[in-house]
Amino acid sequence: MNIVVCVKQVPDTEALIKVKADGSGIDEGGIKWVMNPYDEFGVEEALKLKEKNGGDVTIVSVGPARALETIRTALAMGAEKGIHINDPALEGADAYTTASALAAAIKEIPHDIVFCGMRAIDDDAGQVGSILAELLGIPQVTVVTKLEVADGKATAVKAIEGAQLVIETSLPCVITAAKGLNEPRYASLPGIMKAKKKPVDVKDAAALGISVAAKAKIVKMMPPPERAPGKIVGGEEAAEKAAQLVKLLREEAKVI
Amino acid sequence: MAEKFVSEKTIKFLVHDVFDVSQLVQYPYFSDHSREVFDMVLDTALKMGEDLYRPYFEEMDRLPVSLVNGRVKVHPHVRTIMKECGAGGWIGAEFPYETGGQQLPLTISLLSEFIFNAANYSAAVFASLTTGAAGLIESFGSHEMKEKYLPKMMSGEWQGTMALTEPQAGSSLSDVTTVAEPTDKGYFKLKGQKIFISAADHDGVDNIVHLLLAKIKGAPAGVKGISLFVVPRERFADEGGLEFNDVNSAGIYHKMGYRGSPIVQLGLGEENNCRGWLVGEPNRGLAYMFQMMNGARIGVGLGAAGIASAAYYASLQYTKERLQGRKLSQKDPSTPQIALIEHSDIKRMLLLQRAVVEGSLALLTQCAIYHDLEKVLEGDQSEKYNLLLELLTPVAKSYPSEMGILSTSAGIQCLGGYGYCEEFPLEQHYRDMRIHPIHEGTTGIQGMDLLGRKMTMKGGKAAQLYIEELQKTIQEAREIESLRKYAGDLESAAKILQKVTAHLTSEVAAKKGPDYFLADATVYLEFFGYICIAWQWLKIAVSAVKALESNPAEKDADFYKGKILTMQYHYGYELPKINGLAEILTNSEGITVDATENLFED
Repeated sequence: MNIVVCVKQVPDTEALIKVKADGSGIDEGGIKWVMNPYDEFGVEEALKLKEKNGGDVTIVSVGPARALETIRTALAMGAEKGIHINDPALEGADAYTTASALAAAIKEIPHDIVFCGMRAIDDDAGQVGSILAELLGIPQVTVVTKLEVADGKATAVKAIEGAQLVIETSLPCVITAAKGLNEPRYASLPGIMKAKKKPVDVKDAAALGISVAAKAKIVKMMPPPERAPGKIVGGEEAAEKAAQLVKLLREEAKVI
Repeated sequence: MAEKFVSEKTIKFLVHDVFDVSQLVQYPYFSDHSREVFDMVLDTALKMGEDLYRPYFEEMDRLPVSLVNGRVKVHPHVRTIMKECGAGGWIGAEFPYETGGQQLPLTISLLSEFIFNAANYSAAVFASLTTGAAGLIESFGSHEMKEKYLPKMMSGEWQGTMALTEPQAGSSLSDVTTVAEPTDKGYFKLKGQKIFISAADHDGVDNIVHLLLAKIKGAPAGVKGISLFVVPRERFADEGGLEFNDVNSAGIYHKMGYRGSPIVQLGLGEENNCRGWLVGEPNRGLAYMFQMMNGARIGVGLGAAGIASAAYYASLQYTKERLQGRKLSQKDPSTPQIALIEHSDIKRMLLLQRAVVEGSLALLTQCAIYHDLEKVLEGDQSEKYNLLLELLTPVAKSYPSEMGILSTSAGIQCLGGYGYCEEFPLEQHYRDMRIHPIHEGTTGIQGMDLLGRKMTMKGGKAAQLYIEELQKTIQEAREIESLRKYAGDLESAAKILQKVTAHLTSEVAAKKGPDYFLADATVYLEFFGYICIAWQWLKIAVSAVKALESNPAEKDADFYKGKILTMQYHYGYELPKINGLAEILTNSEGITVDATENLFED
């Protein structure tokens, strides 16, 4: 079974994010970069499938030179090889361009199943997986919390409001992983040692034959407006406090 | 945001800037490694520290171990941790490839261990004890022994222990009385008692393998008659499978801290059916055990440094958030209160902690580098690093342990009343810390080891090499204008060290004998420790100044300036203590030797 996992390198959830003064992006100084946590679920699921059915796992990532660390992390977890799409023209690419780069790379290799995270925790767009499936012309199931693959088809569980959908699809397909799908493993020391020697192909936009013209452009980034400070309702007795609260809700907040 | 217990930045600064651990990959033994591999290992350790260890820090203390029907129960998460450590290759990480290890430099596995210790000390000891015990089998065991035990231990399925202490033989190992009676079947029959044995029984693993000291019947008295045995709790049965080996859990200790890990009392051969297998040659047990013991002593220092690190970051966070009081120069009570960290006395307590945590960690890293260099070099060079490591081991064990008590105590003090309460982690760190000056050789033993053995061994060669190492750092610092003063301070301290040492070894030892010579060995150890840590801080400062020369971004610059500030703290507040200690050591009249018991009537 040939499994492909798309991973993105993102700032650590605990990194302190600062928007650049000119609003063109975030200040990358001092940021710790990690694998997008939803993509980790994808890597883990791919490894489990491989362990059960045999085959191999290829990691694909679009990103600058540092993204190689994230590919190596996935290789240390147990994937076989990587494709690193590294092109300055793709820096800050929109979801469509990213997906088309991924699609061009994946089209060239055998793929029975393609995993993506349901979204990346940096820009929260949640589009790449779906666009990728369209560009590859294969079915997709998004936000998957449980997956079984047998007899050439995949059965996926997807949570929707108040219910769960069980969706069956033929292979190949794109699955976008959600929290709950599995518990990603830690890279092992032997895995880390082996990861160094595993092959990673580096490709640029020209090699993939894709257009880098963006369909969407970030005009400006700005931090959210600061929240006004809260107000502590005064008064001695509970009744007095309640009256005060009602007054505030009616006159200031205008919600009742 | 998850609570911080270690500084990734400081760890990587030590690895790449101060100690340049990547230098090790030039040697064939480590040549498969690289800077990237080291970073990935440390990143994985940080992740495990956060996700696998830290979430159980409080729970393992509040739901401590118990003894139920003769078996010890631990927190169920211990099994998960042992499995992960086994699956991840952490238990035998430093072992050679042939035995399933990764030939990882000790320096890197030590720093990983530091992260685990800081996250949750009780949880971290299970795997590291197994590493130590497996290391003994790896070094001295027979081929058959290795095949039988190592895979199970390295996979985390079986726990390893070191079983030395007995009711009448704690610090005094020559009094070990557990007896091993030879049989003609290749094993010995053991009988005796062991006390204070860490992780000697628990349900987080499927079996326990004790590396145990005993005396073969008829062996010479004292330490020369001690042999090392492998004694599993369950042994391989002749007909296949495992059977009980008459290793009984007689009790567990109810401890002040470090409560997530069991310390057990063992009865061996109660039914006269306890079998042990000799490791290496008879009567060489203590020499073998000292390999593990030296590693375990570094491990204790590391545990102490880890706990102190977690306490420091907890108190740092609190002092940044908690508003209290005003500057003494601010008389207007209507001005807002300032954060605790703006008060000088709080800053002093934070610096004290930082000087202990990072100074200790640097010394431990230094020891690990010496160990790695000893391993890959040959002849005189190998011997040099062996001697340096031998000399510094008692200091690396006891400085973090003794100072760690003061450091975690300062952490509590930063929080005031809240520091004393269970709602904050400080009180647990303080309790967890207290074992470290005791286990694996008390501070008293370490003092005698340093002054009585290490300073004088090979005609004082180790001491000479150590002074040369100090001189190297002094020379480096001297070339930097801003560090010249501190280089001078360290040079004066080194002279005082030599003077005091000469007085003790030639004057006192020669004229008054060993009782007087070693009476204040603990004071000497403390004295030595301040100087040794000053050496490490000067090293750190040299790297920090160099890093600042490349004009780093503001935040990074503050990081390096913070290192220099802490160095200044150590030189300003800790190092001067050696003058008083030198006076004690040279003017000692031996009052503790001469004092007779009747004077303690009341």
